[in-house]
Amino acid sequence: MLEFAPVIGIMGKLTITLSFLFCVISMVFYFRAAQADNERQLKIGNWMFGLQGLFMVIASALLVFLIFKHQFQFYYVFNYTSLDLAPKYLWSAFYGGQEGSFMLWILFSWIAGICLMKWTRAPYKAPVLFFLALTQAFLISMIVGWRFGDFTFGASPFRTLAEEMPNAPFIQANPDFMPADGTGLNDLLKSPWMMIHPPILFVGFAMMTIPYCFAMAALWKRKYNEWVGPALPWTLGANLSLLTAIFLGGYWAYVTLSFGGFWAWDPVENASLVPWLIGTAGIHTMIIQRKSSVAQKSSLLFAILAYVLIVYETFLTRSGVLADSSVHSFVDLGLYNQLLIFMLVVTGVGLGMFFWRYKELPSPEKESKILSREFMTFTGAVLLLILGVVIILGTSSPILGLLFNENPTPPEISFYNDWSMPIAIIMALFTVLGQYLFWKKYDAETLASALIYPTLVTSLLTLASVILGGVKNPYYMLYIFAGFFAVVGNSWVMARLAMKQPKLIGGSLTHVGFGVLLLGVLASSVYNRPLLDANTQNYNAAVLAGEVVDEMGFPVSQTVEMLELKLNEPKVINNQYLVTYEGYDLTQQNRPGQQTYRFKFETIEGGKPFYLYPEVYPMLATSNAQNVNWSVDPDVRTGIMSDIYLYVAGSSYIERRNNQIEEQGTIQNVSDVDIPAQPADSSQSIEFKRGQTIEVGGFSFNFINFMQADTTNLPSNTSIGIRAQIEIKHAASGEEFLIEPLFAVFTENEQSFVMSPPVNLPSYDLSFQFSKVNPQTDSIELTITGLDETYDEEWVLIVAEKKPFISVVWTGTFLLMGGFTVSIYRHWRREKDKNSKTT
Amino acid sequence: MKPKLILGIIAIVAFTSMLMINFGNSISTYTDFETASEMKAAHVPGVWDSSKDHGFSRETMQFSFYMTDDAGETKKVVYPRPKPNNFEEADRLVVIGEMRNDVFYASEMLMKCPSKYNNADPSEYVKASES
Repeated sequence: MLEFAPVIGIMGKLTITLSFLFCVISMVFYFRAAQADNERQLKIGNWMFGLQGLFMVIASALLVFLIFKHQFQFYYVFNYTSLDLAPKYLWSAFYGGQEGSFMLWILFSWIAGICLMKWTRAPYKAPVLFFLALTQAFLISMIVGWRFGDFTFGASPFRTLAEEMPNAPFIQANPDFMPADGTGLNDLLKSPWMMIHPPILFVGFAMMTIPYCFAMAALWKRKYNEWVGPALPWTLGANLSLLTAIFLGGYWAYVTLSFGGFWAWDPVENASLVPWLIGTAGIHTMIIQRKSSVAQKSSLLFAILAYVLIVYETFLTRSGVLADSSVHSFVDLGLYNQLLIFMLVVTGVGLGMFFWRYKELPSPEKESKILSREFMTFTGAVLLLILGVVIILGTSSPILGLLFNENPTPPEISFYNDWSMPIAIIMALFTVLGQYLFWKKYDAETLASALIYPTLVTSLLTLASVILGGVKNPYYMLYIFAGFFAVVGNSWVMARLAMKQPKLIGGSLTHVGFGVLLLGVLASSVYNRPLLDANTQNYNAAVLAGEVVDEMGFPVSQTVEMLELKLNEPKVINNQYLVTYEGYDLTQQNRPGQQTYRFKFETIEGGKPFYLYPEVYPMLATSNAQNVNWSVDPDVRTGIMSDIYLYVAGSSYIERRNNQIEEQGTIQNVSDVDIPAQPADSSQSIEFKRGQTIEVGGFSFNFINFMQADTTNLPSNTSIGIRAQIEIKHAASGEEFLIEPLFAVFTENEQSFVMSPPVNLPSYDLSFQFSKVNPQTDSIELTITGLDETYDEEWVLIVAEKKPFISVVWTGTFLLMGGFTVSIYRHWRREKDKNSKTT
Repeated sequence: MKPKLILGIIAIVAFTSMLMINFGNSISTYTDFETASEMKAAHVPGVWDSSKDHGFSRETMQFSFYMTDDAGETKKVVYPRPKPNNFEEADRLVVIGEMRNDVFYASEMLMKCPSKYNNADPSEYVKASES
């Protein structure tokens, strides 16, 4: 323990408190500056806001210092790090827990505030910063950690173990107790994707605050039009960050977890998607507001809602209400009430201001025609909102489900799929109409003729994929058509734009990406197939046909989606690959006790073989001497047409390890009792393939070949008579023997008898019997008596899946990101030029 | 009122009621083994009975164990995948599936695992297929 560590702890708490106080002071000055348009008040406010962040930077540095110095007497350090953690993960442990992630969020918001000071113009400047400071104050309050008797305000990252669990016996014995090591980071999170996911997410959260602040400033100062200009680049930036974060989360889930997908409609995933959808809706209305001075109300509303939903997401994931239904929600830190107040204030102030000013908000003088840029863009926003509403409804099932029964479960996945699919189809079709009308005026007739070629190309592509993909479901055909229509139609618009004004292609590029994403989602999820051998496939077909019954006579309804492989025995799977399990390596480096399995894939049609290396490792954080918690790490082979995804669900190694652990447990329990020695003369039957060598009990046995038996010594009625040539090697002495046991079948009184006389090896007290022959697999069974070790076959159980066109999903996502980036640049550039003109 | 407005209200009402009906149908209620026999995709919470047989069979490719539901009834549960990673640690399970002939066929399984060090902490559920 560092001597001055307690001082650092106190300093940490102090700097956070100071940060909070300066934040509140800056709010006061910003408020007065906004009320009176007072430049001096604004300047003081800026200084206070700057100091607030500076103290937060110091607090963060102190926390990072404690983490790197392994000061485990601090609960945060103890709970999220350990001595063996690599430096990069020590860094990420800073924001690995709730308290640290609040700090990161605060820091990014602060940086956004500094940018706003520089770039925002009057009259929005002071009120925007006031609202930013207000949200900052709430965020900082989550980590101040003040204590008033039993009541604590915020959870400080600098609290010690003694403060966290004052009643624990080890603390009562020694209040300065410092554990030798921390509990460490969850193994699943030790991934580079998970290191960069949170910072990008919080950049998005911080940026999404800005349109909210602008909307509130607009309502406050009654300037309902000009705010969208400066708010747009922030909203676009927030959306780009959120999208990137969602993508990283999905990619991490795909390559790390064993559910084999990138999206599971988990509440936490949904909670990150909904603000993105609403933010995107806001971008649509802001764009038409800027162009044509319409949709002021909806721009304000979406800007408010997008941030409210960010706070709602924070509430859902951090208050513990989702603990029953989500895989990755945080544990409640006692912040439930504070988070609830935060959410209510942000929502109440936002919507309250909106409805207070509602009457004087500008309304369009005449309604837009249906075939107009305004109507189409607005429709896009409404569709995004509807999708958002559907997803929120499903995610809020622990609360809203109470309308239906007392103990509601989350909705089935099909609820999300059934609703999002038709909405996505309509969206895809509308993107094309919207993009055409956005850049040129059309009436029904001219629009129809402009769309002839794109429709033709779309139809051809749809037809080709329906035929090639063997699509039989008409609903999917419609979906594929809509997806291709979005890709082709928007590409058409983009190509024309790119020739004239390449800076403006952001929107059409985004919509192309959306179409590509839709196609990828369908192809990768509906046509996802397990990789199985012919036997299992036939079995599954029989199960689906209802032909398989269990021992009780009931129909079996569950198909088998696993495959067992034996060491060096190739199996043909999906009539396409020859897969061989080639063994495993044990490593102690990254994760002690980890096995890396080796699978060779050979394409039957020829071509270079390739390998997959899935891993299984004991999860240290949750394992102990009596019970090892095995965790899997799949391997994915990425391809343009399809991915192969594989993980090991079980193996002979794991089974042996588990048995050993269990035996150790029982031996300890009955240590007083004499354990009788295992009888050494037990016999065992081992199956050999021709050419195969098996090592067991200090010997190696090699089955070389069959040979015709000499029939002179056999009974005259023998129908089969063969011998197996087996080479035996004693590993310790190097002594070698060759035995040729006999297998014969003869008929007597119309009954068949097997004759397999034992062959003895007296020097080692072993005897062998050639007990079975299996011509189909070119193998024999040898019964060996006298070995003091039983032979365990090396086997693995794998789950392998072929996932077509995952690459298309990622491509669609990258195109979306690219489109957003182009748009950010364009809108930011424009605002910058405006700024330089005015100053 | 303008006809457009009426049309809009009708559309919103129709959409909302469809959505709510569908939502209501797609959520179910946590139940016990006795009522599960009348349901498809029943969610049954309970506790693993470690005194009885459990294990993965390489012949049937299934993991089976006995679970006691909240009403105190113990039934055999069959899960068509390997034993989930943190099965033994879970202090509570939710099996989702259907009951046939006194055996519960789970298609999905959620496990509620205790927090690492402090038993007083709230726990969280983990989907078996995602653990």
